[in-house]
Amino acid sequence: MTTFNPGFVHCPVTPFKADNSVDYELYGKILDFHLNNGADALALPMPQAEDISLTDGEQRELLRFAIRHVNGRVPVIAHVSDPGTMIAVERAKHAAELGAAAIASRPPYFWHPKPAMVAEHLVAIGSATKLPFFICTPPVEDPGTHMTAEDVLDVVKRLDNVVGLVDASMRFVFMAEVASKGPELRPDFRLMAGTDYIVSNNVLGGRGAFSQLASVAPMLARELYELCSKQQFTQARKAQEQIATLNHTLKQAGFAGLKGAMRAMGRDVGVPRPPVDALGEVEAGVLGERMAAMTFLEREPRGW
Amino acid sequence: MAAVLDKTRPAAAREPMAVAKRLYGVMQAPVTPLNDDFSVDYDRFAKMVDFHVRNGAPAIAWPHHKAESPNLTMDERKRGAEVMVKTVGGRVPVSVFVGSLSEEDSLDLARHAQKIGADMILTISPYCRRPSQNEIFKSIVRIGTHTDLPVLTYNSPWRNGEGVEFTSELVERLIERLPNYIGMKDAGFHSEKFLDISRIALTMRPEFVIIMGLEHLLGSFPLGAKGSFSSCGAIAPNLCNRFYASLVANDWETARQCQYRITRLYKLFKDQYPSSLKGAMISMGRDAGPIRSPLPTASPERVAFLCKQLEELGVMDTEPHGW
Repeated sequence: MTTFNPGFVHCPVTPFKADNSVDYELYGKILDFHLNNGADALALPMPQAEDISLTDGEQRELLRFAIRHVNGRVPVIAHVSDPGTMIAVERAKHAAELGAAAIASRPPYFWHPKPAMVAEHLVAIGSATKLPFFICTPPVEDPGTHMTAEDVLDVVKRLDNVVGLVDASMRFVFMAEVASKGPELRPDFRLMAGTDYIVSNNVLGGRGAFSQLASVAPMLARELYELCSKQQFTQARKAQEQIATLNHTLKQAGFAGLKGAMRAMGRDVGVPRPPVDALGEVEAGVLGERMAAMTFLEREPRGW
Repeated sequence: MAAVLDKTRPAAAREPMAVAKRLYGVMQAPVTPLNDDFSVDYDRFAKMVDFHVRNGAPAIAWPHHKAESPNLTMDERKRGAEVMVKTVGGRVPVSVFVGSLSEEDSLDLARHAQKIGADMILTISPYCRRPSQNEIFKSIVRIGTHTDLPVLTYNSPWRNGEGVEFTSELVERLIERLPNYIGMKDAGFHSEKFLDISRIALTMRPEFVIIMGLEHLLGSFPLGAKGSFSSCGAIAPNLCNRFYASLVANDWETARQCQYRITRLYKLFKDQYPSSLKGAMISMGRDAGPIRSPLPTASPERVAFLCKQLEELGVMDTEPHGW
């Protein structure tokens, strides 16, 4: 049986140069920022890192660079999702050869296969290596096949190396079903929060989280994680509401909001790759003003 | 019909925010017992309501979907509401659900609820039209200004379009517009959406009460949800009460175990809801009769299956039998 406890996982963004190529020099700075600001592990390239805007070659190179740069300081979880099963399988094998600590994949985007085929897809990816394997739910509703708790448990039954579900659905009923039945199949199976909405996930039985907002407010995100880890959910409400305020503001700015917010914190990581639009001057100004009004951000690190 | 509460409670108790403060815990929403000829059995309904109050329900709400509300005539809904108010007799707050396909019917039911002395109404913009946020706003304002009663809205963002979603922006507009808007029944069951609503609503109106649509309460209780309307209180009221007590005590391990059991129970009842719920009630000695078409009445085989499941979940030995 495989076990793996990644703790609080940061999900770094992917920076691009003006010519839209990956900016590796800046990526190194981003990785160091996370390692210096509370990351127990890194997961990359996750959806907020524009994984679907990267070519297969870029995803492999990004992971190679990250593992070499991190150099064992924390585990690096390779996110290998792809609509095509064979492509994702090969990417997982490549990640294992590079020294990734674990593999993560969601169901395939774009296609709408039957649940049995979704299970086949995930089993193929998970069994491509002996590394710990995380199933992820998509960060947006139904971009492909809707995953039920039964679908998740089917994969858990079939793969010895499934260590958990990283939930971005934020659905209470789904989380409760996975958290209650997963450990019955495998005691070390864990539900993890796949967003910064950690309280609901962890009070329902989850442990740990994959954080996107640690790029913007690593101290607040870590505080929330720590309180939830100590089962202090009532005390965590204030931090969770602050995270929700920040997330709501970023979301209003669209997908580019995360990089816009990092810039407002003195960490310019460029703009998203097309077809995602960058924030215009007005939108960036509005975002900056709204963040300036969030007094809870005053204690957060500025710059690198 | 005379207003029951006018005789039993001071006017201050009906002030909207005073009503809001009395809403907490796992509140019960009774099923509608039917006779074999599918007519409503009002005597058994009164027994059902009284059973809930005697078994710790902090509030009674009727007729929710588990009470087959879309299958009841307006006359039946009014008479049932009268029976509920009379049976409860001021022991706990009473909510009348006035949601329907026609807004005119909702307005009529709201008028009636006020007349008979209900404590509040629960409403939703009429279903099955995929209304815009502005259409929902105007509909709720029409209903909310049509009554002096405190108003709860029902957030029901079903995926297939029959539902009605209340976004945080819509809740903000309604709080600004309606002084009697005291809370929401939330069937969204979603962390981010819950927090978007609760952050704004509780800042604007601290007494605003968010009640989860079913007992999926654990994920939102630490974030400000005050209670839930029950799906399985007709089967396992002790479990409901134990669940809420553990939440108040911040005993998360007990709360988690209760939530998991409730989730499993609800999954049993979800099949042709509330057909399987009524089927399971038979095993608890509380036969509430058949289900109106087009929903099916639980078959003897289904009832036997449900009974076995209740035994495996330990319900038969820990919960009250009979009325």
